[in-house]
Amino acid sequence: MRIEDLKAGQEIRYSGKLIVMRDQAQRRLKEIVDRGEEPPVDLRGQIVFYAGPAKTPSGKPVGAIGPTTSARMDDYLEMLFKLGAIATIGKGKRSKKAIEACKKWKRVYFVTPSGTAAALSKRVKKSRVLAFEDLGPEAIYEIEVEDFPLIVAIDSNGNTIFKE
Amino acid sequence: MINKHVISEKIKKAIIDANIKINPEVEEIIERYEGPFSDIIKENYRVSKEEKLPLCQDTGIVEFFVFIGHEVKLEEPIEETLNRAVGEVYSEYPFRYSIVTDPLFERINTGTNTPAIVHIFQVKGKSLEIRFLVKGGGSENLTVLRMMTPTSDVEKVKEFVVEHIKEHGAKACPPLHVGIGIGGTADKALLLSKLALTKSFEERNKDPKYAELEKELEEELNFLGIGFQGLGKGITVYSVHIEHFPTHIATLPVAVSVDCYLCRRGKVTFED
Repeated sequence: MRIEDLKAGQEIRYSGKLIVMRDQAQRRLKEIVDRGEEPPVDLRGQIVFYAGPAKTPSGKPVGAIGPTTSARMDDYLEMLFKLGAIATIGKGKRSKKAIEACKKWKRVYFVTPSGTAAALSKRVKKSRVLAFEDLGPEAIYEIEVEDFPLIVAIDSNGNTIFKE
Repeated sequence: MINKHVISEKIKKAIIDANIKINPEVEEIIERYEGPFSDIIKENYRVSKEEKLPLCQDTGIVEFFVFIGHEVKLEEPIEETLNRAVGEVYSEYPFRYSIVTDPLFERINTGTNTPAIVHIFQVKGKSLEIRFLVKGGGSENLTVLRMMTPTSDVEKVKEFVVEHIKEHGAKACPPLHVGIGIGGTADKALLLSKLALTKSFEERNKDPKYAELEKELEEELNFLGIGFQGLGKGITVYSVHIEHFPTHIATLPVAVSVDCYLCRRGKVTFED
């Protein structure tokens, strides 16, 4: 399925890779990019999931994991798109600026259910740290998910499911 | 003298339960919800209970409200007992350490989920009551205080609360529990708004005027149609609670706090 074909309100189940990162990792990423250095992760074609997992219980691929508030990271959205990310996943309404960025770059924003981290963790098959390990739950992870529930919240034409 | 280990054991169990077991008041409402993601929301608390996983990855900052009788004797400052209990729970369970040492400069994780926030109130008698909230960052970020003009009327207060939830409610995992503190000083109003969140949904303010205002706000906020997960289906708020206090002639502080849809809270009591 092409990103441009997705429409706001559409429910899908996604299986594949996600790059997990949140506030501090994006702040650091921006500092690296601003210095003109090579970012520690390749975001081309990737979907960024705004999340910070709980500790991993022994024998499990990942701990409880779920979306955090996306609007906090609206200022970093354009950077992610410039680095090649094709979509973001989080929770909640985003700013006009974020909607404009999705429209301009023809990208989408998905929501996944918040406060359901135990159930979502069952849909994660693999997990590994990619960068910034010292940030603990705020490190950058790569996870592999199966049947991950998503709703298109902002589509590539800038349509949104949230009320103004 | 109340034994510190007795306090610690009871508090630890209550914090574990709040993180792993769905609040029964919440469960009753969720069971009736049939909108988007309802299957996963219901699956979540079955999985968390069976596998002892937290309901939400954000296992919060633990905020305690301690009501200590003036005749109660303790072995050590209550803050020490509570912080030790939090540290032990968050190390023993697959919860998340979400606390960083310094808020502005070096945000280094403390690796224990401590310190907790502890508010102490002295009351009459021989009992010790400890209430707590497991407060996620997403809902905490919605906290707001407005110093309104002292001549503002009820409508102005309602408008402030409704506008705030309308603009930001979808970010804090609705349906929300809304706590409102009115009066006192700025900090007192904020504290009252948090205390309001420790109440169960059915409780009402003892003053009929405030009880009426709670009901009116509940209706108006639900009329916003934000819904579960902010997706427009189901209720927007579970309940609104107001706590009020006398204030200065020149002030009318109004504080709003919210709790996310999980409403992870607890209460334990001891007798000396």
